[in-house]
Order: sequence, then C-alpha cells, then structure tokens
Amino acid sequence: MFNTFITQVMVYTTAYALASLGIVIAGRAGIFNVAGEGIMLASASAGFIVGYLTGNWFIGFLAGALLGALFGLILICLHETFHVSQFILGICLVIFGAGFSDLLYKLLIGIRLSPPIAPQAPVVHWQLIANIPVLSALINQNIIVYFMYMSIAASYWFFYRTKLGLETRAIGENPKAADVVGVNVIKRRYYSTIIGAALIGIAGAYLPLVVTGTYSPNISAGRGFMAIGIAIFSSWKPQRVILGAFLFAAIEVFSYRLQVTSTQIPYQFILMLPFISVLLVMIIFKKQVEYPGSIGKTYARE
Amino acid sequence: MQIQYSKNTFVSLRKSLLVYGVAVSAALVSISLVIALLGFNVPAALRTLVTTSFKSSFGLQETLKKTVTLIFTTYAFSIPFRIKFFNIGGMGQMLVGGTAAAVVGLSLAGFNLTFIVLAPLMISAGIVAGALYAFIAGYLQARHNINPIISTIMLNFVALLLVNFVSTTDPWRDPIEGHPMTKVLPAAGRLPFFFRGVPASIIFAAGAVILVYIFMKKSKPGFEINAVGYNLHAAQTYGINFFKTILLTFLLAGGLAGLGGALEVMNIHGKLIEGFELTSGAQYGIFGILTSLICAGEPLGVPIAALFMAVMLVGADALQRTMQIPVEAVFLTQALMVILLVVMRQRMGRK
Repeated sequence: MFNTFITQVMVYTTAYALASLGIVIAGRAGIFNVAGEGIMLASASAGFIVGYLTGNWFIGFLAGALLGALFGLILICLHETFHVSQFILGICLVIFGAGFSDLLYKLLIGIRLSPPIAPQAPVVHWQLIANIPVLSALINQNIIVYFMYMSIAASYWFFYRTKLGLETRAIGENPKAADVVGVNVIKRRYYSTIIGAALIGIAGAYLPLVVTGTYSPNISAGRGFMAIGIAIFSSWKPQRVILGAFLFAAIEVFSYRLQVTSTQIPYQFILMLPFISVLLVMIIFKKQVEYPGSIGKTYARE
Repeated sequence: MQIQYSKNTFVSLRKSLLVYGVAVSAALVSISLVIALLGFNVPAALRTLVTTSFKSSFGLQETLKKTVTLIFTTYAFSIPFRIKFFNIGGMGQMLVGGTAAAVVGLSLAGFNLTFIVLAPLMISAGIVAGALYAFIAGYLQARHNINPIISTIMLNFVALLLVNFVSTTDPWRDPIEGHPMTKVLPAAGRLPFFFRGVPASIIFAAGAVILVYIFMKKSKPGFEINAVGYNLHAAQTYGINFFKTILLTFLLAGGLAGLGGALEVMNIHGKLIEGFELTSGAQYGIFGILTSLICAGEPLGVPIAALFMAVMLVGADALQRTMQIPVEAVFLTQALMVILLVVMRQRMGRK
C-alpha cells in the first residue's frame, strides 16, 4: 500500500521536477521563465501527436523537447533583442501555448470516439530489489524517471563543480560584474533559457506519454505554474528541486486518494488541497527563500 | 522582489493611435497567415471574421455581451499592472463574484424580495466577494512577498472547484440538467435586456469606465497608484504607502471582476453555470490580459480595445460555425499580435 503510494508519487514527481529544473536553470542566469505552463501544454500536444503518429515514444519526447527549446528561443530572443519584460513575454507565451496545443490536436488528430493511446515509455524492472519497499518504488520506474535523476545530478554538478556553472550563477546574481570579468552574458542566457525550456518541454511530453497515455485539453492543469512555486521554494537550487517536487506530488496523489475514500468532505474541497498548499508552503518557507539577485530584470550594457 | 522593466510602457496618444493601427493590421496579417497555413480561403475567412458582428442584430448583441464582460476582466488585469503586478486571477475573481451573487439570490428566493432590494444585494455580494478574493493575492504579495502570478493562478483553480461545488450541491443545484448548473434565479434577481437583446449590464460597464477614469486621473489614491507605477522610490520618499497601494489596486481589480461575474450570472445566463467564464476557446480572464496589453492599461482605451476583441471573438465563433476553422486559430493569433505590439511599443518608447 505504502509502496504503491510512493511509486505513484514518483510518477508525478518527475513531471514537477523536470519542469521546475527547467525554470531553475533559466533563473540561475537571471531569466524568470513564467511560460512553463504554455510550454508544457504545447509540448504535451506535440509530443503526444508525434509519438502517436510515429509509434515511438522516444521521438515523441524529442519533439516535446525541441518545441520547448523553440519556445525558450522565442522568449530569450525577444527579451534580449527588444528588452521586453520577461513577465509579459512569459504570460503571452502561456496564452500562445494554450491555444497552440488544442489547435494542433484538433487539426492533426481531430475528434475520436475513443481516445488514441500513445506508446508508453518503457519501465525498468529489477527483480533483485522488487520486494524492498521504497527503494523499489524509487528505482523500478519508467525510463524518464532515470532521466530526471540524471538531470538533477548533472545540473548540481554543473552549477557547483564547474567554472562554467559558477560563471552562470554569477550572471544570475550580478550580470554587470560577470560582464566586466569577460563572461558573455547574452550568450549564456540564451543557452540557459533554451536548455531549461527543453526540459520543461520534456516534462510536458511526459504527461501524455507516461502519466495519462493520451492527450486531453488543459492536460498540465496548472503544473507549469506550480513548478514556479517549487523553484522558489527550493531557492533556485537544483538539488532541492527534487524535494519540493516530491512534496507537491505527494500532496497531489494524497488528494486523489482522499477523494476516493472520504465521503464526509465534498471532493471539490479535497481537490483544492494542492493549490492551497502551494500558497501555504510559500508562506511558511518565505524566510528561507533566496532569489538570484538579478532575476527578472532586464540587462543592458549601457 | 520588485519587477522591473523600461518606464516607457505608457506612450503618448499620437503614438498610441499609430500603434493601434499597426496592431489591427498585424492581427489581420497574422490571422491571414495562420488561415492560409491551415489551408482555408483567406478572403472569405477575413470577411466573416470582421463583419459578423455588424451584419445581424444577433451578431451585434453577442458582441455587446462579450464587450461588457471583457471590460471588467481587462480592468482586473490593468489596474494592478499600473504598479507592475500581474493579476492573472481575473477569471477566479469573476467566478467567485458570480458564485456569490447566485448563492445570495437563490438563498433569498423564498423571501419574495422586490427587484430594488434583491438585485443590489446580489451585485454587492459579487463585488465584495471578488474584491476579497483578489485581496488575498494582494495581501500575499504585500505581506509575504509571494508573486501574484503564482498566487492568483492557484486561486483560479480553487475558484473553478468552488463553482463546481455550488452548481452540483443541494440546495442550489438544478437536479434535472446534466451539465453542472444552479436553479434559475428569482425574477427579481435578474437584469433585463433592452431592445430584445441588449444586456442591461452595459449600463454598469459604462459606469465602470467613467468611474475608473475619474478615479485613476482625478483622485488622490489614483494619483498615488500612478506615482508608484512610474517611480516606486520617489513615491515612497514622498510618503506614499506602498503596502496600502498594493492592497487598493487588488481590491479594485477584484471588485470589478466580481461585478463582471455577477452581471454575467444575473443578466446573460440567469443562473450559475459551470463554464460561464469561457468564450471562444478560452476564458474571459485570459482575453482580459490580452486586451489590457493591447491598450496598455489606458482607462479610456479599455472599452475600445474590449470592443475590438469582442468583434474578433464573435468572428472567431462564426468562423468555427461556418468554415470549421478552430476558434483556437484566432485565439493564437491574438497572442501573437500582442507580442508584436509589446515589442513595437517598447521600441518606440526607447527612441
């Protein structure tokens, strides 16, 4: 019972962690990417359609990542070239992504009587640890969960163990100082935002290709925005993202289960739990939260 | 964390006229491109898109209905945006306002109150509920430094569930209908239609436009909001309380959105229906954000931009009905157009 709970939580944790990591990576270079929801929706739609039409889950994920990267490119290009507010661009891209996802699905798949099912990402099953509680829930998972573990470890190593990572963090704290010592601020911001957005795209494609098996309108259901909450909660540190993601995923799975078992409380109030807990967690941990110094601000050389 | 960007978001009237001209052309060009890409007949589609609102009295009535609600959700975004905060919660505030009005109206249905008593009560309930709902987000920003982009969106989801709760639970729900909705409001709690189709809510929208204009341009609190928007540090040195200004803008925004929701329930539908916040493929809150960015939050630009948006939405519905072009195509181009506009305004502001 407990083990299946953890297994389920890990499935959702991966979507939250990848999306949030994408936001953290951009944030470390000073870009506040609030377009997460739009990117997830667009990539969910494109990833599902490509995966379904080619019959290959991997190509589906690739399509999701590429579309996410394209959104990131639009965001950073318009911001760096025209100095438009990151927040306005982000909100516009959320709206754009929401329209794009449904339009694409309507045009290429249309209305079906039974929902089309995409090929699922394979699940790794180690017989050796199958009976060990918790560990088996963490390890015997689909392959994208492994990808999420690797991305968290890789970004931790990058930001805290390499010179490039240190320089990128310096851009997020003080772009002028980084510029003075010869770091190419604009170029690094392009790379960070695009790589981050590609990760958000993978998180988007993960929803239809692993969690639900099919695409439905508004499939990400606010997870792109909750990922921003997780990024803030984790003080923009990659190693903490997985904790925050696990916490929110656990609340979500818990509310689904409570909805089935509880007859006292109307189910609508149980389903409000994840959203309200985002706000509560942010109030409780506000003292511990640190932002990168220049996040959200436009950097111009003159 | 204080959001910063260039100060020249609000440009002069002469420039704005130019920007609007370019915006409309940009909208038409981008929609033509999308329609052509989808393989439809561009001239016929454009004609449908632009003229549906003016060809029949039905089109005109639909346009007016959408304009009224858009005006309210546009203010919901544009007033906090004056001091650089993003209220994405126009939808949630509208939902809560509509729900409050419906609950008050249905609860008092047994008392046989007259129109003079019941309708103002319901409208006030809508305004107060919307204002308090937005106040949560304003307070979280002012006191706990939680970005309204996140808090208002979380509150939107809560509001959606609240509407679902009220419209599927006794004593409010309509047990016969399959779709979640409440029973019909008592006649004293409904607003009339003039000329067989023009909603009475248009009077409230006109009143709101005038009052917001006077408030923002002529009153002391309105001046303080503008001062904080232009230069926070100067305003604080002058003695303006930033904390109170944040709360005030959110209360105003939420109150207007709540009024919009109450009017939608009392006038257009006559009951609370799940999904009443939706129009042409998205919800009024989202269109309010786009409209607000089109008119750069200018109080008098709001009705014009809202009318423009409503014409496009009615046209989009007609395109879907007659030519099977998905409404999302029009919705998508609007986001494109706004990005274009914002970029242009930024460039012109810098010169």
